[in-house]
Amino acid sequence: MGPGTTWYIAVAAVLFGIGTTGVILRRSPLIVLLSLEIMLNASNLALVGFSRHFGSVDGQIFAICVMAVAAAEVVVGLGLIVAFTRRGMSLDVDTVTELRG
Amino acid sequence: MIAGAWLCLLAPLAGALLITLAGTHISRSTAAWVSTGSVFVGFAGALVAFIQIAGENPDDRSHLSTAYTWLGIGQFEVPMQILVDPVSLVMMMIITGVGGLIVWYSVGYMKGEDEERRYFAYMAFFVFSMLMLVMGGNLLLLLVGWGLVGLASYLLIGFYHDRPEATAAAKKAFIMNAIGDAAMALAFFLLISQTGTLSYSENFEFASTGALPTSTMNLVALGLLGGAIAKSAQLPLHTWLPDAMEGPTPVSALIHAATMVTAGVYLIVRTHDIFEAAPNVQHLAAIIGGLTIIVAGVIALVQWDIKRVIAYSTMSQIGYMFLAAGIGSYGYAMFHLFTHAFFKALLFLAAGVIIHHLAGEQDVRRMGGLKSVMPYTHAVFLIGALALAGIPPLSGFWSKDGIISAALADGGALGYTLVALGLVGALLTGAYTFRLYYLVFHGEPSELVLEHAGGHGSDHAHGAESAVGHDEHAHSEGPLSMLIPVGILAVLSTIAGFLAIPGVWEPFLHWIDGVAEPLVVATVSQDYATSAIAVVLAGTGIWLAQSAYRASEDLVAEGRIRTILEHKLYFDELYDALFSRPSELVANLLREKVEEPVIQGSLGEIGAGVREAGGGTARLQTGLLRSYALVIAVSVVILVVVFVAVR
Repeated sequence: MGPGTTWYIAVAAVLFGIGTTGVILRRSPLIVLLSLEIMLNASNLALVGFSRHFGSVDGQIFAICVMAVAAAEVVVGLGLIVAFTRRGMSLDVDTVTELRG
Repeated sequence: MIAGAWLCLLAPLAGALLITLAGTHISRSTAAWVSTGSVFVGFAGALVAFIQIAGENPDDRSHLSTAYTWLGIGQFEVPMQILVDPVSLVMMMIITGVGGLIVWYSVGYMKGEDEERRYFAYMAFFVFSMLMLVMGGNLLLLLVGWGLVGLASYLLIGFYHDRPEATAAAKKAFIMNAIGDAAMALAFFLLISQTGTLSYSENFEFASTGALPTSTMNLVALGLLGGAIAKSAQLPLHTWLPDAMEGPTPVSALIHAATMVTAGVYLIVRTHDIFEAAPNVQHLAAIIGGLTIIVAGVIALVQWDIKRVIAYSTMSQIGYMFLAAGIGSYGYAMFHLFTHAFFKALLFLAAGVIIHHLAGEQDVRRMGGLKSVMPYTHAVFLIGALALAGIPPLSGFWSKDGIISAALADGGALGYTLVALGLVGALLTGAYTFRLYYLVFHGEPSELVLEHAGGHGSDHAHGAESAVGHDEHAHSEGPLSMLIPVGILAVLSTIAGFLAIPGVWEPFLHWIDGVAEPLVVATVSQDYATSAIAVVLAGTGIWLAQSAYRASEDLVAEGRIRTILEHKLYFDELYDALFSRPSELVANLLREKVEEPVIQGSLGEIGAGVREAGGGTARLQTGLLRSYALVIAVSVVILVVVFVAVR
């Protein structure tokens, strides 16, 4: 039978926490992107877990949508990082504060 | 018949519209002739209507023609209709006839003036408005015309809009008239609430059967009287008329002498049923008229501006008409209106010829000796002056003395007081008219006159001499388009009086009687008695003016009385102190205490407050990605906790 739904949710929560911590604490944009991926996948895991629990495919379809969005987002994120390095800027999100009020 | 009346009403409107729409596509002189032509077409229409109505039975000469329903609010309907009856026909013929002559005269007078087209469009518009006033078939259309003539008067007084005095005079006239318009509108509101209609016949029915309480009738009549005295420049709303002389002279002749200012008299005659239901108010009209005769007469004694003297004499003569209407002698009120239109237009236009000749000079102290230089103008002015003073057989004699004898026939304390006022007025009229006449025409030609005399001789004195003997001397006094209308008016001023010879031939009075039955009729002996006294008094006035002139003195010697008269009895100062200054004071106070600190100050403070709040909020925008993420994370946590806790 394998582990129960609770376990999947627990693992998803832990992953989401790790991802959030990464986004908040790390300064390198690459790691921030990685952490974002972890958060998205944590939510995917939760979606699929619930989908299995309720015997409905809705959650799984939604998870596929999330993957597509994640892929697109990585493209934009990595593009930004490439643009950063091309301009010789340091890879540190704290130095990019031009939108300060 | 009705077609003629409609033509009369609409032709001047068409003329005004045509000039306005054509703009610069037509030449200035075309505009002038379009205006003149349209007014004369109106006169032709009025004449056709007159001839047809004159052939009808005297009892059914009143015709109401309805074009369509102009205004409908539930049960309350106001049709677009015209009323053609003897009274409105007299007015129509005066307005279009005298008006046509004056517009024709303007062709010469205004030549070369800037914005001539605008002037002629206004003139045609005025004639239309005035016709609307007298032909309007119900009280609302009367009020429409009443307002429109006020507007036309405003526009024409302020025609020289680059002169501050002219615009100030225009505003003054408009405001004074607005007071009267408001009074009239209130009277109409009262009538609507009481009778539910603004039709003439129905309201007169209510008034004459006594269906309405006396207090209501008094209020309605008072409102109408308020409108009448404002429009006709009677005490105490008269101060605008002398200032209105800032407009071009033909405007003064048409609007401020011959037609518009007599609208108040027309109103009283037209609504005489209402006034008869409120006899006290009607007597008040007579008293106001009597007082105005004297007040205007004495002020005229000390004026130096040729047009202002004539303007005060207009006020004074309208006082006679009010007097007549107030005692119920409607025929003579209308008859004096009729003759006054001729001789007063004549005087103004003759004054205009002089002003035109002297390049705009209006001060009589700089004139003098014009008799030899302008013999034609001298002759017509003398006719006008004699008619105004009431010397037989000129027209003013027949109409003015009819009014005084009607007051005598009225009798009682009121009647005798009015007779006294009228007779003193006759004396004053003779005095101020001939003071003006002698100052302008007699004596040695002044420097200014010599300067403008002749114009074709090298030597000024020679030019003046040759002008006398020359066959075509009239031409040098001004363009023919000015001199011909003046001549026609002089003839009319001479003969118009024969339309009502007491006891002999009174077609004019019978014509009016069909609409407004007189309350008093003087006997023939009363007529001749007052006539004799009035003529003697007028002659005395002329003699006084002549002897004062011979002694090179002015009629009123220097001193306190003269000062008071020169300040026009301090009416302007009084209104200034009563209304203008206090409102200025309040306005200034409000500006200092309310507008500047509260309204202006609060605007600045609101701005500063918003700016500060914005600055504070902007500091939250750090630009640090990680702090945003943290804020989002914390917010989500808080929301979840709250959500769970509340559930």
